[in-house]
Order: sequence, then structure tokens, then C-alpha cells
Amino acid sequence: MSRHKLIKQLDLEEELDDYDGGALYDNDENQGISPEDQGTFIIAIVNGEYRLRQGTIRVRDVLGPGFEISDARIQESLWYYYYDVEKSVNYLLSEQTSSNTKPKQKGADLKLSAVDGKSDLNCRCHRRWVENDYDLDFGAFNDPDVPIIHSVTGSSYFKPDVMSTFFNDAPWCNIPPGRQGEILIEPLYPPGRLMGGSSFQGDAKVSKLAAIAAARRMKEDARSRSGTVTSSVALLDKLGNKMSLETPNELEMAPKAATVKPLNPVQADTSKTSRKYPVRERGVLNSNTPEDAIPPVESIISERKRDPETFSIPIALPSAFARTILGPSFERAPTSGQDGPPCDLVGSPYHFFFDVADAKMDAFAEPSPDDVVLKAQTSKGTKTTKSGTGDEIRAVTSALGDVAISEAPKYKSKNLDVLAEFKKTQIKPTANFVVIGHVDAGKSTLMGRLLYDLKVVNKRTLDKYRKEAESIGKSSFALAWVLDQGTDERKQGVTIDIGMNNFETDKTAFTILDAPGHRDFIPNMIAGASQADFAVLVIDASTGSFESGLKGQTKEHALLVRSIGVQRIIIAINKLDTLSWSRDRFDEIQQQVSAFLTAAGFQPKNLAFIPCSGLTGENIVDVSTNVKASWYTGPPLISLLESSEPFARALEKPLRLTIDDIFRGGVQNPLSISGRIDAGSVQIGDIVITVPSNETAITKAIEVNSEPSDWAVAGQNVILHLANIDPNYLKTGDVICSLAAPIKPLSIFTMKVLAFEHILPMAVEVHRGRLHAPGRISKLAAVLDKASGKPKEGGKKVRIVKPGSVARVVVEVDEPVPLELGGKVVLRAGGQTVGAGLLE
Amino acid sequence: MADRRRVNGPAGGTAPPVYAQQAAGFQNTRRSRMRGPNQIRKLFLKTGLTPSASGSAYLEFEPSLGQNGVPGRLSDRPSALKLTCTVHGPRPLPRSAPFTPQLLLSAHIKYAPFASRQRKGYVRDANERDLAVHLESALRGVLIGERWPKSGVDVVITVLEGEEDCLEDEPFASTDSEYSRSKGLGMMSVLSGCITVASAAIVDAGIDCVDFVIGGVAAVARPPLTNKQKAKSRVKSDYAESIWQILMDPSPAEHEDLDAFCVVGYLQSRDEVTELWVKGNTPNKGDSQDQEETVLDVLTDRAVEAAIAARHVVVEAFKESNKFRIQSHSPDQG
Repeated sequence: MSRHKLIKQLDLEEELDDYDGGALYDNDENQGISPEDQGTFIIAIVNGEYRLRQGTIRVRDVLGPGFEISDARIQESLWYYYYDVEKSVNYLLSEQTSSNTKPKQKGADLKLSAVDGKSDLNCRCHRRWVENDYDLDFGAFNDPDVPIIHSVTGSSYFKPDVMSTFFNDAPWCNIPPGRQGEILIEPLYPPGRLMGGSSFQGDAKVSKLAAIAAARRMKEDARSRSGTVTSSVALLDKLGNKMSLETPNELEMAPKAATVKPLNPVQADTSKTSRKYPVRERGVLNSNTPEDAIPPVESIISERKRDPETFSIPIALPSAFARTILGPSFERAPTSGQDGPPCDLVGSPYHFFFDVADAKMDAFAEPSPDDVVLKAQTSKGTKTTKSGTGDEIRAVTSALGDVAISEAPKYKSKNLDVLAEFKKTQIKPTANFVVIGHVDAGKSTLMGRLLYDLKVVNKRTLDKYRKEAESIGKSSFALAWVLDQGTDERKQGVTIDIGMNNFETDKTAFTILDAPGHRDFIPNMIAGASQADFAVLVIDASTGSFESGLKGQTKEHALLVRSIGVQRIIIAINKLDTLSWSRDRFDEIQQQVSAFLTAAGFQPKNLAFIPCSGLTGENIVDVSTNVKASWYTGPPLISLLESSEPFARALEKPLRLTIDDIFRGGVQNPLSISGRIDAGSVQIGDIVITVPSNETAITKAIEVNSEPSDWAVAGQNVILHLANIDPNYLKTGDVICSLAAPIKPLSIFTMKVLAFEHILPMAVEVHRGRLHAPGRISKLAAVLDKASGKPKEGGKKVRIVKPGSVARVVVEVDEPVPLELGGKVVLRAGGQTVGAGLLE
Repeated sequence: MADRRRVNGPAGGTAPPVYAQQAAGFQNTRRSRMRGPNQIRKLFLKTGLTPSASGSAYLEFEPSLGQNGVPGRLSDRPSALKLTCTVHGPRPLPRSAPFTPQLLLSAHIKYAPFASRQRKGYVRDANERDLAVHLESALRGVLIGERWPKSGVDVVITVLEGEEDCLEDEPFASTDSEYSRSKGLGMMSVLSGCITVASAAIVDAGIDCVDFVIGGVAAVARPPLTNKQKAKSRVKSDYAESIWQILMDPSPAEHEDLDAFCVVGYLQSRDEVTELWVKGNTPNKGDSQDQEETVLDVLTDRAVEAAIAARHVVVEAFKESNKFRIQSHSPDQG
């Protein structure tokens, strides 16, 4: 049974009548105290009775003879007020008036008896305090424990008299359920009117408790406004009236109501005068007089209603300055029409408030960076924790596939059809040629002259080179310095790495690859030659030089370019000016060289011979005007270059690009690579894969001939700016492939090789373009017939391959290299080229 | 040839106005307080003024008029406080900032160079920094900072027109004891305005607060003594009962004889004070035997009352701005 119901069912009158057995109670109490205590108690009682009598007389005096009241009641109120005559009179007067004005709901008798009963209880409480420490503290009256018994389950309301013996017949730990009490701990309600609570009464929906409290406050307000009743009297008043109230809630509220702060009527009056604004009440804490003994528990001020007559809000009109900054029409203009924005707000600062409202709110609109990271981490975590069954694995792999796709580009692909684009743009045919020849044949000088005469290099630059070359005593090297840019190269007068330069004629765009002639730099020459479409073989015509060249690098270079796949070769017979353009010498050289080249596999129609002089520049761009050279009627070198047919590009094949160089292309492009596209095409936004590191990268930008381009095709020398890849994964000689069809790196492969030297099963270096990897020839499979390409001498084991013969060998490399079927590979050992051939 | 290396003034320059110090017919006197001791000056407050800030407010005091309600000459006119406040935030702190579990509040108060008769510099001086510290402590009590970890809010107040302690003719740093006693009141009343306007701007920015914090000022003043009182005061102590008087919201231009002043930052609905700053000496109460409440208590109470009165203005300003918001949000209002 809930306590509300229980209390509702209480017959208050009956219950309180029981308290009238005060004598019994007193007897019980008295038995418990010692004789001395009894003595003092009696003295106190006697003393009290004397004062009671005196007080009664004085009260009667004050009230006057017309006031009908019993002695008992006067005494009782004196008891309560600790013999304070004034307060008792106040109380009795108010009691009288309220009982007169109140509608008699249950009859005056009932009420009176109720009051009596309650007073009796009060007296008893009071006496107990007297017994204990003779402290007449009425604060004890407010002790919530005394008057309120929260709840008892069971049919009967238990009586305090038998409280001590209540559990006497109950066994330990086995209390019958009918008598078990229910402990109700009052929940911790938030203190009123802090953050959320509204102090306004009315419109907002309030809780039941708050409504009751508000009602109480209003009542109190009304009472204090009447001015005659002090709150401590009101308290007693309330206690007196309480018995007639039916609501259990009100009963519960009693102790709280008792905590209402006392208000000295005199103080209240003074504070109400002379103050213009609603005034905060000051709590008076340090008064020790008994009439103020009830301590103010709540020091919260009550918001008093402000008096509309005396109080006006001190709001000012805007000054001229304020009107200016608030806008011209801030002052309320007369209403012009019905529609349109509310007139009094036109021109107010709030006009632009809503334009920027969204911008204002943006700061925390999006998830914070931390949230993003956390979210990503959690989502990742859930993904990886999925494991076990095949379905799940498949889900994970498909999800990973999605991830790979979603990872893609901030560099948007334009999705061009590169081939169509390439066909559409009628750009000049491009051609790369490599310049080869023995060391000091004048390759670089010849090319420098070519560029100078074609005005690719201006005179000023060349003059500078001349001056510098003279200062170190190598004036004849000035032209070579156009291509030899490195300090080492200039100092030693030898080309070391491939020199690259571009020039254009009316018909074709050329790329010069100036190869080093010295035998120490053959690998660089191989790298250059692998990018070339055709070759220019420069031969020093001077006596002795030609012969040594033919034994040396003239021969080796020619063989190499042939085995790399160059078919067309232009033979520039250089330095003829030193031989005063001797025709005999030219013919002799032509004869020997053509014989050798034909033997090496070049077709005679692909050979072209030209007498020239790089230093003087005859027969390079312009036909020589020298009379001694008039026997030559052919075209100059540049025409021969232009006459080369356009070469078929492997456009349709998947992308292959051997990395020639890796560099930092600037702040915006921290990683760039250069190289020639061997096959296929590439465009911005393409995802490419590097072999053998198998890392993907995004093509951020493309440069063709130092010009930005959206795409590039096979045959072009390009610079790719890559993103989303670490530079550690790239090295020169790696191959950039399209993601769809990457090269599979090989660690063991068979190749058909043309032997330049004796080939044994031995350690070799495998060269392909820039790529060079250490390896060994593990097996000589067979020596092949040059014409038919079939194995000779079937069955016999091959021990050695002689120079000039063709053999099939198996090569192993230490680390996998990106090689493809049909790839042209050069094998070198001990600084010499031992063979070159095709991958099978 | 013109000097090109310098930025020259315009060709037709004007001379700055020079006011006659003692024009005939004008007595350069302090104004006297026309309102009652319990009346505060009228305020004007507007919120949402600065579109680029999260929250902003503008506050000005009504300038006190001359004797007959006529403003005096221009140079003579007492200053009236004008403040703008912008609140930026709450916004995420930069990544380099260390972690803070609460909203990081920083307050800046700057006088405009033209805000006072003595021109102010562009760098914040000690007074301005002092005011900012007081303002910060006043505001910190109302913000519910726990709801905004790792965030900061900047409260920037520009004093467009400041209250000054002295009139033009008076020496700025006078050693006169009577004058120096009321020195510092201008700063107090600026602080009170700053607290109010900053609170309004913070609420305009929608930052969680427990209440408005409103500034209020009160001062202990000696009214001019009548002859009778003078005679009395010679006999008794300097401050006999009822000679001193407590004034709410004193304007520096109107009083020269103030002994103590007090500024509070007050939260009405919680009955709390977040900022209390008292300057000067509070006199003893006449009958010194039972001092229930000291003069300081009364002074503080009056300052709180001034704050309560000013609060109504703030509430009205927000009612107005809310009215506009509701109107502009409802679709049928065009």
C-alpha cells in the first residue's frame, strides 16, 4: 500500500486522540530518570508554571476582556512561544480571525480538537527536550523525524507509545512481512532554479512538487503583503490548519514549509520603502533571540513581483551615434503596408543576422578531426576483425578492392582516348637518335655544331663556352660543351652520361641522345641507345684514329645498337677537314665500315655515309662551300636525319616506361621521373605500377619536351610527376607499367644471344636500357645456326660459345628484373660486352 | 618638385578646432546628479550588431544632460560610456594548443584612441589589461565551460567612449586629495558596462551560461554639507550618521566627492556575485556599537541593486531580438 493511500485513510481525529494519553507517557519517561534529574526537572517545571501563569495574566490584559479565549489555549501558545507575550497575542489574534473567516468545512469543533491534539504533541516534544538538556530550542520542532512517519506497510498505523516494544515478539532476522517497513529514501531532486529551472510561473509546464511550492510561495506572498502576520506566526498557523487539509502532499510539505525564512515585520517595512527597484532580501543570520530561533535554511532570494507603478525599466533611446551604426531606419518608422518584413525591424542589425547565421554555426557543424579519426579507426577495426568463413573473407577482399578504388584520385583523369587524341593532333613525327662512335671521334662536337647551326643554342652561350674552354686550354671542346653539361665531363673532355637535347626541323622533332664513347661508360651508352630509333655513327677520319676506332668502340657500339634493335644508321665521317677533304680516305672508310656493318646485320639500304666536319660545321646543316669538298653532292646531315621514316609505335600495347632518372621536380612535384615511353600511353590521373617494387602511383602531371601535356604516347621522352608513392620504391631502370598489365619480374630466363666474346657459364651483368643487374649464365643450352635459327650439332653439350656465333643461354639474376618476352638484353662481363640478344 | 618620399597632407588643410577655455557665460562646473540616489542611468543595449562575429552587443549610457536638461557646450560635455563587444567562438583551438577540458576564455578590452580626452595608444596599457582580467573573472563564473572542451572563445570589447574621472580643465593627475579620492570611478563604471555587454554578447553567441552576469556600480558619497551639518561635523566625527550617502551608478562627471566605490558582476537568478571590486575607504557607521551591517555591505548591496536594474534592459533587448528571430523564421511573414 502506498503511503499516500495510507495517510489518506488515516482518521486524524482518532489518531490524535490517542496522543492525549500524555500522562501515561510522562510516567514512562519519568521512570527512566535519576532522582537528581527529577529534582531539577521539577524545579524547571515549577519555574515554568510560574511564568506560565504570569504570562496568561499579561496576555489577558493585552487582549482585553472582550476577547473570548480559554486559559488553556493561552497557556499553550505561551508554551510554544517560550512565554513571549507579544507573539502569543499575535498568534491568538490571527487564530481568531482565521477561524472566523474560514468556511467551516468540517466544523469548528473538529478543527479545534485537531489543533489541540497537535499542540499537545508539540508540548510533548518540547518536554522531551527539557528533559534531555534543558535547552528550549524550538528548532527541534522542525526535526523531520519527529512528526513524520513516512510509511508503514500493514493495516494499522502504529502508535509511538508501543514503539519501543514493537519488535519484541519478532524473531531476529525473521520479521513477519506484515510488519516489515518500507524504507523510502527521498530522491535527490536538483535544487530549484539552477540551470534548467525556470523561475517564471505560469506558461511552462511544472512538476507537481514545483506547482505546490509555487502555490505556497504565492500564498506566503499574499500573506506577507497583508503585513500583519509574521512568518513564524504563519508557520504555527499552518500547523494549526494543516489538520483540515486532505492532501497528503501538503502534509509532507510541512517540514519544508517550516523552513521559510522568518521575516521581521519591521525590517520588511523599511526595505519596502525608499527602494525603487525590486530588492534582494538580505538574510539576517546572526540573531540570537528566541523568536528568530528557526534558522533560515534556504537563503535563496525569492523574486518579488515588481511594482509596475514605481518601477520602470531604465532603457534609453539610442544616441545619434548608435542610430548611425544601427542603420538609418532603426527608429520605428510608421507602418507603410501590410506585407514585407515587420516594419520595426527593417534596418535593424538583425537584418544581416540571418545571412551569416549559417556561417556562424559552421564551426562545429562538421565532425571534429578527432571524431573523423576515431570513426575511421573503428570502421577499419571492424573490417579487419571480420574473419573466418569464406564468405567473410570474400567480403573483406571485395571491401579491400573497394578501398583500392576509393583511394584514387584527387588528380582527376580526363578519361581521354589517348590514341584518338594522338591521331587528332597532327604533331610532327618525333625521332630519337643516338650518337655513337669511338672516344674522341667528335660526337659531342658534331651535335653541338648541329644545335648551334639550327639556332637551338645561341651565339652568346657558345661564346661563353669558348671563353671558358680557352681558359682551361681546350678551345676545341667548346661545341661539345653544349651537350656535356657536367663539370666532370667538361674537365676531362669526355662525355660520361647520355647528353640529351631536343631540336625541331620543319618536318620532325628530334631528340639527340649523345652517348659516351669511352669504353668505361658503355652501360650509359646502352641506356641511351635503348631509347633511340636510329643511330648516327661518328667516325674519326684522321689517320690512325679510324683504325683504332674500328677495333674499339666503333665496332662495339655498332654491334650494340644493332642488337638493341636499331636498324638504320647514319655514318658521319668526321674531321675530314684535317685531311683536306680527301675523297680517297672517305671511300676507304666507307668501304671498310659498310663491310663491317653489313656483317653485323645492317642492311645496306639502311646505311648512309656523309663526309663532314663538326668543328667547322661543313655538311652538317649547310652543304660545304669548300671547293675541296665539292666532290660530295649528297645532302647534308640534317637532311639525312629528316629522311628517316617515321617509326611504328607500339601504341596499343600496355604502358611500359623504363625510368631514366628520378628527381625532385620542384616544390609541387616532389617526385618526378623521366624516361622514354617504350610502349602504350599514359594520361594524367592514371594509376601506374612500378616493377619490381609493385607499388602503385598516380600520374599527377605529364611533361612532354618540357611542355605540360595531358597525355603521352610511346616514343616520347616524358617526365611524369607521380604522387602517392614513396621515392624509396623507385630506382633507375625500374619499369613503370599500367596497372592492368604489369610486367612480371623474372629471376631466370632464356635468351638467344649473339656472342661478341667467348661465352662460358660465367658471371655477367644484364643490361637493358638503364637497368643493369648482376647475374650469371647458368647454362649454355645450344649454339644456333645463324641463318635458320635452329640448334647446330644436336645432342652435343655446349661448353663454350665462340665470338660471332649465336647461342641459346639460360641466365639467372640475383634479384628479379622486369624483363619481357622479346626484350633486348646486353650481357657484359669484366668491362666488355660479351653478347647481346633477345629474351625468349 | 613635390616631395615624393613622404606622405604629404592634402593641399588645403584645416586647422583643428581650439576651444576657448573660459568662454563667457559658461561656468565649467561639474554637473550635478539629477536623478535620485537609487536611480541608475538609462542604458541602450543592442545585440547581434556585428555580422562576422558569433555574438555581439552594443551598450551605451545615456549622457547626463546639463542643469536644465540642456546639453552644455561640446567640449564641456561629459562622456557617456559606449561599448561594443564581439564574441568569437566557441571555436576549435589550434592543433598546437595544449588540451583543455573546458572552454578557454580570453577577454580583451581596448580603448579606442579617441575614447578619452587623453588619447590612448594602440598598445594595451596596464589599465586595459587590468580591466580585462576583471572581466575574465566575471565571465568565467557564468560560462558552462565543460560543454566545450578543446575550444576557445574570445571576448573583444572596444571602448568607443570611456568614462573619465576628470573634466578637461582639471589636472589629469592631481594631487588634490579631494579629487584623487574619486579617481578610478571611470574605470569602475567602464568595467560594469563591459561585464554587461560581454554577457549579452555571449548569450547572443549562444554559448551556454548559467545566467546573465550584469555589472552594477555604487559609491559612497558625501553630499554637500549644509551649514548646520557642517557645524555638527566639526563637533562629531567626520562621518556622522546620515551624512554619507550611497549612490547607485554614479557618473564620474557628476560627482567629485566620492569615498568608495564598488563594482559587482551579479547573477540575479542564482544570487551570486562573480566579480567584486571595491576601491576607497568605506566610512564607519555612525553608531559604531552594533554594526549589523557595515557600510561595505550596504555598498555592495546597492551595487547589486544597480545590476538588477540594468538586467531588465538586457532582458528587454533579448526579448526584442528573439521577437525578430521568431518573426523572420515564420514562413508567412514574407
